[in-house]
Amino acid sequence: MNATPALSPAHVSQRGALLLGLSGLTKRFGAFTALSAVDIAFHAGEIHCLLGENGAGKSTLCNLVFGVHAPDAGTMTLHGAPYRPAGPRDALTAGIAMVHQHFSLVEDMSVVDNLMLGRVRGVLDRRGWAARLDALGTRYGLELAPFARVGDLSIGERQRVEIVKCLMREPRLLILDEPTAVLLPDEIASLLAVCRRVAAEGAAVILVTHKLAEIREAADRATVLRQGQVVATSDAPSTEINRLVKAMIRRDLEGLDATTAATLGLEDESAVAAPAVHARPDGPDILQIDGVSLRDSDGALRLDALTLTLRAGEIVGLAGVEGNGQSELGLLLAGLDTPTGGRLVMDGQDLTGRTPSDFTAAGIGIVPEDRHRVGAIADMNVAENMFLNRTRAFTRFGLLQRRAMHDAGAELMRRFDVRATGPDARFGGLSGGNQQKAVLARELTAPGLRFLLAAQPTRGLDVGAVEAVYGLIREASARGIAVLLISSELDEVLAVAHRVAVIYRGRIVGERPSRPDQREAIGAMMAGHA
Amino acid sequence: MTMELFAVFLGSSIRLAMPLLLAAVGELVSERAGVLNMSLEGMMLAGAFGGAVGSWATGSPTLGLFIGVLTALPVAALQAFLTNTLRANQIVTGIGLNILVLGSTTLAYREIFGARSREAIPGFPVWSPPLLGDIPIFGEAVFRQIWLVYAAIVIVVAIALILRCTAIGITLKAAGEDPRTLERAGLSVIRVRYGVILFTGLLAALAGTFLSIGDIHTFTEGMTNGAGYLAIAAVIFGNWGVGRTVLACFVFGSATALQFQLPAMGLDVPNALLIMMPYLLAFLAVAGVVGRQTAPRALASPYWG
Amino acid sequence: MNARTLVSPGLAIPVLAAVAACLAGTLLVLALGFSLGDALSSFVDGTIGSHYALAVSLNRSVVYALVGLGFILANRAGLTNVGGEGQIAMGGMVAAAVALHHGVAALPFGLAFLLPLSAATLAGAAWGGLAGVLKARVGTNEVISTLLLSFIAVWLVYGSVQSVALLRQPMTSGATLPESLPVPDATQLPLLTGDAASPVTIGLPLAVVLAIGMAILLTRSRFGFQLRAVGLNPVAATRAGFAFASTVVVAMAIAGAFGGLAGGVMLLGEQFSLKAGFSSGYGYDGLVVGLLARGSVTGVVAAALLFGFLRSGGISMEMGAGVPTALVMVMQGLIVVAVAGAAFWLDRRGSRS
Repeated sequence: MNATPALSPAHVSQRGALLLGLSGLTKRFGAFTALSAVDIAFHAGEIHCLLGENGAGKSTLCNLVFGVHAPDAGTMTLHGAPYRPAGPRDALTAGIAMVHQHFSLVEDMSVVDNLMLGRVRGVLDRRGWAARLDALGTRYGLELAPFARVGDLSIGERQRVEIVKCLMREPRLLILDEPTAVLLPDEIASLLAVCRRVAAEGAAVILVTHKLAEIREAADRATVLRQGQVVATSDAPSTEINRLVKAMIRRDLEGLDATTAATLGLEDESAVAAPAVHARPDGPDILQIDGVSLRDSDGALRLDALTLTLRAGEIVGLAGVEGNGQSELGLLLAGLDTPTGGRLVMDGQDLTGRTPSDFTAAGIGIVPEDRHRVGAIADMNVAENMFLNRTRAFTRFGLLQRRAMHDAGAELMRRFDVRATGPDARFGGLSGGNQQKAVLARELTAPGLRFLLAAQPTRGLDVGAVEAVYGLIREASARGIAVLLISSELDEVLAVAHRVAVIYRGRIVGERPSRPDQREAIGAMMAGHA
Repeated sequence: MTMELFAVFLGSSIRLAMPLLLAAVGELVSERAGVLNMSLEGMMLAGAFGGAVGSWATGSPTLGLFIGVLTALPVAALQAFLTNTLRANQIVTGIGLNILVLGSTTLAYREIFGARSREAIPGFPVWSPPLLGDIPIFGEAVFRQIWLVYAAIVIVVAIALILRCTAIGITLKAAGEDPRTLERAGLSVIRVRYGVILFTGLLAALAGTFLSIGDIHTFTEGMTNGAGYLAIAAVIFGNWGVGRTVLACFVFGSATALQFQLPAMGLDVPNALLIMMPYLLAFLAVAGVVGRQTAPRALASPYWG
Repeated sequence: MNARTLVSPGLAIPVLAAVAACLAGTLLVLALGFSLGDALSSFVDGTIGSHYALAVSLNRSVVYALVGLGFILANRAGLTNVGGEGQIAMGGMVAAAVALHHGVAALPFGLAFLLPLSAATLAGAAWGGLAGVLKARVGTNEVISTLLLSFIAVWLVYGSVQSVALLRQPMTSGATLPESLPVPDATQLPLLTGDAASPVTIGLPLAVVLAIGMAILLTRSRFGFQLRAVGLNPVAATRAGFAFASTVVVAMAIAGAFGGLAGGVMLLGEQFSLKAGFSSGYGYDGLVVGLLARGSVTGVVAAALLFGFLRSGGISMEMGAGVPTALVMVMQGLIVVAVAGAAFWLDRRGSRS
C-alpha cells in the first residue's frame, strides 16, 4: 500500500508517500450497510477522485475520515500511525479539512467571523484575520470581502469562503464533497486549479464528484464505490472513463438510454449514441409566464420581469446556475408564493395570486426541486402521499375512506413501478427514486393536467430511476402536456428539452435550440455573458 | 410628578428591574446559543428559596447567595441534560421543571420553616457609591441599593462585550444560528449548550436571591410569580439584543413601579392594567407591532448531530 | 418545535412515569414524617370515599380532559397550546358576565346555562384563535403568544372583579368582596343526579361525547388528515391544497374553545362566582394532561382521571393528614420531566432515518 510510481499526468509535480490509508472500513446505519470493508490509499501530492452513484457511500466515507461518524469495523492510518478521530475536532487537529456538500457557514455572520469560528480564543482580532484572508486570497486567486455578511454573498462566493476556511488551516488532507454541483463552468475551472495547487504543495486532495469532465481534468487516481464497496480503481482515470462509469452504474453502456448517457457526460464516447435532436412541437400556448417579478422579504429582486411561454407538448429546459431564481419560479408555479409583479396565465385564465388548489385545478402539476419539503410528507404513507391533493375524492360525510385510498394507491404503485412494501409503507423510508416516481404518479394522474413543472427531477437519483423519470416526462409531452424542466445540469437540459431558455439573475437572458453545438453559447449565457 | 416622587420612582424601577435584568440577560445568552429555557422561572424560584434558607441558616446573606446558586444549578443541569443529551422538547421540559420546583420549594419551605413562616431573614445591606450617593434627592432614592444591583450592571456590560468582541460571542451565535457548522468547526454544540444553560442557571439564581434576600428579606411560596416568564418576554421584546433586552427590563420594572406610584399621585389607573403591562408589551412585540422579531434560527430545536 | 415529540403513540412510558411518580410521592410522605396510613386514608376519602368526593374529582377531571383534548387537536397540527390557563380564564369571565346579564337567567329550554356556556366557548376560541392568527400572519411562536395571552387573561379576570363597573359585586352593607355575584341558579349547570350530595354536572357526559367526537375527528375524518398533514409538513400540505393559515387558526381556535368551555364548566358548575385567580393552575394541569396523552384521546381521558383524582386526593391529604398539596405538584413535575426525557427513546428512530 505504498506510493505507486509512474502514470502521473503532466500537471502533477510530485507524488508523495502514503498519507491516509483505509483498511477494511465498515459503517452501518441500523440495518443498512453504508460502507463495507473498504480499502483505499490516499497519497500526498495527489488528487484522488471518489466516484459513485447516490447512496454508494462516498459521503459516509468522507464523514468517517472527518470524524463525523465512527466506523463499525476497520482501521485508518494517518502518516503510518493509527488514526481514530472522535469528532471533527480530532480530524482538524490532524490536519484534515473538509468542504461539505452543503455549506457550513453561518449566514448571519461576516466572512472573517466565519473563518475565526473554532479557530481562536479570547478577544477577536478581526483586522488581523482580514489581512490573513487577503494574503491567502492573493496566493490562490480567491478574493473575498472580509466584512461582508455571508448571507449576502453569491453561491460561488460562499463556496470560496468554504475553501478559504479549509486552506487557512493549511491542511495535509483536503476533502471536497461534491463541491462543484452549484458552480459555474469557470468557477469549476478555478476550483480545480486551486485543488491542483494544493496538491502541488504536497497535500492530498479527495474530490468527490460524479462529473466525468472533472475526473478527466484533475484526477490523478480514482476509486469507484458502489453499494458501499470499492468496485474499481484507476491510476490513470483520465484514460479509463468508460471502465469507471461501467463499474459505477454496473451495466454496459451500449444499452443505456441516450439521454441518460448524455447526462452522465458520456456524449463524446463512441459507445454511446448522440442524443436525438428534438423538433419543437406546434401546439397551442398553454402557460404564459408574463413579466413575473418577485421581491423577497429583504427587498431583493429574485425574479425580474421573467417572461416565458410554453406550448402544448413542448419540453422547455430552463438552464442556469443554481440560485438565479429557479427555486423562486418553482414556488410561484406551485402557487406557494405570489409574484410582486406580472401575471401567470394558464389557458387564458389568470392565476396570479390564487391558491395552490386553484393551480392544481387549472391543470398545473409540480415535481418540486425540494421533494422532502414541498413534494411529499415523509411521515405519511405512500398512498396518503399519492392522493395528498385529492383527499376530497376519498371523503364521504367528512370521513376518509381509507380502504379505497389504500387500494387506489396500490394500483398507482403498480402503474408507476413504485417499489415499497405496500401503500402503507412510510414514504420517508423509500429510496429517492421511488419517492420521485410516487410524486410523478400523483402529479401525472391529476385530472385535467396541462402543464408539468419538473424542477431538478433527477437530482440524487441512481441511473435506473433517472431513466424512468425521463421516460415519464417524455410520455407526458407526447400526451400534449407542456413541460418546464428546471435543471442546473446543462447536459440533462440539452438531452431532454426541445428548446432551452437560460435564466440569470431572475431574468430569461436568451433562448437556444436544444443542440449539443449550443453548449458554449448557453454556458456563456448562464455566466451572464449574454 | 415632583422631583422627590420621580426619584423614588426611578429607584424602585431599578430595584424591580434588577431581578428581571439578571434573568433576562442570562436567558439571552442561552437563546443566542439556541436554547429556550422555559425553566427560567423554576431556576429563579430555586435560587430565591436557596438564598432565603441559606441566609436564614447561616445568618450571612453572602453565604445565602452562594447556597441559592447551588440550589438553582441542579435545575439548570437537569434542563441541560434533558434537552441536550436526551434531546427533549425544551418547552415541555421547562414547564415540567417549573412545576417540579414550585412543588419542591413549597414542600421544603413548609418543612423547614413550618409555623415560623414570615420569619425575617437576613438580607443584603444597601450601599451608596461615593459621590453618586451624595447627589441631592436622587442620591438617597436612586443610589442606595444593595451591591447586587451594581454587580448586575457590571455583569450585563461584560456580557454585552463578550458577545460582541470575543470568540465566545461568535461560538454562541453559531450554536444558535447554524449548530452543524459549529460542530464542523471542531466545537461541540452540546457542550456549548450545556455551558450556556448552566450560566443561565447561575444568573437566574442571582435574580432569585435578589427577590428573596435582596428586596423583601423573606421567602413566600411561588414568590417569583411569573418573573421568569417575564424575563423571557423581555428577551423577545428585546429582539435578542443586549441593549433592547435591558431596555425591556427597565420598561417592565417601571410599569410595576407605577403600581405603587400612581395611587400616591392620586391617579386612578386600574392596578390590573399595570400588572398586565409587561405581558401586554411583550405580546405586542411578538405580534409584530414593535417591528420584526428575528429569533436565532435554531432556537428551541434540539441538536441531533 | 418538534411536533413528533408530542404526537407519536407509546403509552407505556407515561404509565411507567405515573407509577414511578406515585412511588416517589409515597416515599416523600414517609420522608417528611407523615403517617402513610393517615395520608392514604385521607387520599381515599378525598377521591372515592364519598359520593361527594367522587363527584368533585370527576368534575375536576372533566376540566382537565377538555383542556387536554384541545391540546392534542392543536398538537396534531404541530401547534403547542400552552394557553389553557388563559382560555379558561376568558371562558369563566365571559360565562360569568353573560350569566349575570339581566334576563339570561329567565331564558327557557336550558338556554339559561347553554347561552353562557356557549359564550365561554366562543371567548376561549377567540383567545386561542388570536394566537393562531398571529402564527399564520406574523409567524409568532404560539407557545410564547399563548403563554403571554394567559397572563393577560388572568389579570383581566383580576381587573374585572376589582371594579364595580365591571363584574365586582355591588356594595352591600358597606363592604364588597373582590369577586362577582354568584350566578343565578337557573344558569348553573344541571346536576346529573339532581342531588347536591353528588354534584356531578352535565359536564361529564358532555366531555365523554366530545372525547368520542375528537377520536373520530382525529383518526377518521378528512379534517384530521388535514391537521396531520399541516403538522408534519406545512409546505407540502399547502401545496396539496390544505391552507396553512386557516388550518392553524381553526386548530388554535378549537383548542381555545375547549379551554373556554372548561372555564365555563368550572364557573357554572362549581365555583358560581368569579374570583381573582379563578383559573388557579387548571390550565397548566390540563396542558400536562395533553402532553402526557401523546396525541391519543384515550391518553387524555386516562391522564385527566389520574390528575383529577390526584389533585382531589392531594387536597384531602392536606386537610386530613397535613401533607402539603405541593406533594402532588412534585409528582406532576416528575411525570412531565420523565415523559419529556423519555421521548428520546420513542422518537429516535423516526428522526434518524
